[in-house]
Amino acid sequence: MKRLKRIRIVVAILFFLAITLIFIDINNVVPAGVCLFFGSTQIIPSFMRTLTVLSAASLGFFLVSILTILFGRIYCSTLCPLGILQDIVIRVAKRIDRRRRFKYKKQHYILHYLLFVVTTILAFSGSVILLNLFEPYSNYGRIVTNLLSPLVVAANNAISYLLGAFGYMLIHEIPILNINFITVFASFCILVLVTYLSYKHGRLFCNLLCPAGAYLGLLSRFSFYRIVIDGGNCKECGLCDRVCKAGCINSSSKEIDFAACIGCFNCIDSCPTNGISYQRRWKRNTSESSKADTGRREVLKSSVLPALGLLLPVIGDGKSEDKSKNGYIENRKYPISPPGSLNIERFSSLCTACHLCISNCPTQVLFPSFLEYGITGVFQPRMNYDIGYCNYDCSYCGNICPTGAILPLSYSSKKEVQIGQVQFVRDDCIVVKNEKDCGACSEHCPTKAVYMVPYGEFLMIPETNIDICVGCGACEYVCPAEPNKAIYVKSNKVHQKALKPKTKKAEPIFDSSQEFPF
Amino acid sequence: MDRRTFFRKGFGASIVVGAALAGRYDNLLSASFTADELPFDLVAVKGGEPDVMLAKGMKALGGIGKFVRKGQKVLVKPNIGWDVSPERAGNTNPKLVTAVIRQCLDAGASEVFVFDHTCDNWQRCYKNSGIESAVKDAGGKIAPAHTEGYYHEASIPWGKSLTKVKEHELLLGTDVFINVPILKSHGGTRLTIAMKNQMGNVWDRGTWHRTDLHQCIADYAGYRKPALNIVDAYYVMKQNGPRGVSVEDVVTMKSLLISTDMVTVDTAAAKLFGIEPADVRHIQLAADQKIGRMDLENLRIERITI
Repeated sequence: MKRLKRIRIVVAILFFLAITLIFIDINNVVPAGVCLFFGSTQIIPSFMRTLTVLSAASLGFFLVSILTILFGRIYCSTLCPLGILQDIVIRVAKRIDRRRRFKYKKQHYILHYLLFVVTTILAFSGSVILLNLFEPYSNYGRIVTNLLSPLVVAANNAISYLLGAFGYMLIHEIPILNINFITVFASFCILVLVTYLSYKHGRLFCNLLCPAGAYLGLLSRFSFYRIVIDGGNCKECGLCDRVCKAGCINSSSKEIDFAACIGCFNCIDSCPTNGISYQRRWKRNTSESSKADTGRREVLKSSVLPALGLLLPVIGDGKSEDKSKNGYIENRKYPISPPGSLNIERFSSLCTACHLCISNCPTQVLFPSFLEYGITGVFQPRMNYDIGYCNYDCSYCGNICPTGAILPLSYSSKKEVQIGQVQFVRDDCIVVKNEKDCGACSEHCPTKAVYMVPYGEFLMIPETNIDICVGCGACEYVCPAEPNKAIYVKSNKVHQKALKPKTKKAEPIFDSSQEFPF
Repeated sequence: MDRRTFFRKGFGASIVVGAALAGRYDNLLSASFTADELPFDLVAVKGGEPDVMLAKGMKALGGIGKFVRKGQKVLVKPNIGWDVSPERAGNTNPKLVTAVIRQCLDAGASEVFVFDHTCDNWQRCYKNSGIESAVKDAGGKIAPAHTEGYYHEASIPWGKSLTKVKEHELLLGTDVFINVPILKSHGGTRLTIAMKNQMGNVWDRGTWHRTDLHQCIADYAGYRKPALNIVDAYYVMKQNGPRGVSVEDVVTMKSLLISTDMVTVDTAAAKLFGIEPADVRHIQLAADQKIGRMDLENLRIERITI
């Protein structure tokens, strides 16, 4: 029985390290399948995936649900990275103050379920704001991507520099381009909140704010195996209360509030008399509290719902197009969502903003948004053509997205997706303004949706063919015109189909049987 | 700024930077050749595989030993600008890159480095162009060039449009620079050959595009002259360059041009492509500024057919 805790710790460390690794894997060393596997062990992303595509990756939701019905909320202490992070904080806290102990507390079920109900209703009506704010995996992903990953890169660059000084070119510098300081700050705040809560109150986050915790708590009320206090062996010493991070053991009344139990098994480990154990459910009455709050929930729903309208999705409101007098749009009316997301509304209603795609994007074009998708889509990734462009032969983000907000696309089908349309502002073009050749946009265009035509006697100027434009942003990224770029991509709110570029076979110029023309 | 002043400045400003460069590339200053010793101003080869054409062409020029001495560090700069496969002809033929590196090593080069400041994602370009593995197979070293930290400022006081550049440190830390471009069509400059390939030596290309692209190319050509230019015209992208859309853009020409003079080799390559060299403005500008010679009729040309 005491082995349970040890097994739990081994599994937890494994998952924690693996999930951390996939978020700092800037060079894409970890195969996409591995990223997707660990992402899909996460219950809420996996649930989102069942709403989008039924695939192996959506099994995670069902498996974790079944696991919880069988064994209780062991998910919270093994697979959930934010849970493990809290456990680490708690362990450190214990090191700092050895006398630290927990005690039985009444759980905040009403608040927790109220939040859960609101979160769920909002999520089903297309606004994932509360889900994204409190979903544990995505929060952990954001913490690693926005806080840890830049530090890892900085360390990499320092080592690269030092090795270089001694004549070794073993590792190369990595540029850090896609950092949004707003999301860095937000992730920092969440980290502080989680650290504070766990330092002071154990796993309060999981039993007050976490939507996964609420859902699994509901299931664990019926779980097959559970922790029980054995009346005969228990000497009421209270050791188990003191180690319970969830504060759900009341040793004086010999009751355990199993819905709040996060399955760490510390209590079993702590008991000197085998008075507490993990066993199959006997005929026990489930606690009364669950009935009470379902009744109350109904009342709350009717009174709170109208107020929720405020949080419903309103994408990219308030910003009008063609604000800038020269044509180049500083603030696009809509953000550009990654290929495979189908349309902005769908994407924004499914993405839990874990930032896995952002930390893994080979060209770092995916960038954390703030309010571009509207208040309900905070932190979701968008394409940022100021820092890069989408590689024509890459569809990595879709292969790793655990929620299915970005669907997997083959290379060939990705090339037929138009996420935006090229817009050329002739008056701002170098060729017109300076009367000099440039052509950087056409150079970079993978489909020749931007092509060069004669301008005046000697010069060439770009022209566009939006039918074959995929909206990759290469033209916008490289356009050297200042202060306004002369070419940019206008977002497709609903992604369109890009026609395949048609090229005719090039006529031969010279073959080796001919004489040299000089 | 020559290499010596660069290092003096480097040490003055920051010992670490100096040490980094000196350690990494161990700068050796040694005597170089003069062009008069060479039997030809231009060697044009056709009809063979890249390595065979290179071998014949270099033999005609007196061997690579004329350019690379024992113990020297060599920089080979192909075009690796795009994330496309070799048959798309967006990047220098990897077989040619292998052959050039082997020749340098056979001539006693201590190390051969390869890099390009790519347009598409650098790791994908290095890999999918086939050049990364070609370099490793041949015994060379492929170096990163994707962050500004690898570049050092240099000034071109006589430049008409381009007066300042940030050049890759390997240009300053090696003894011999061999330019290995591919001949391609180009939307902005009509053609990209030897002079245009040197845009991959520098960090801030946006300035070039912004000011006067052709003039900047010519200015830089006057400042940085490779010891040798080997133009790959085996597969040639005839249209939709420089990135190309599909293999439909490519024609097979099985040719190779070698010269110490970028203007000469660009002139010949333009003719091979079927474009009047003077229509490619940077070639004309460079010739006007006496950076090299366009008058092929007055030059010693060796024509080899395999």
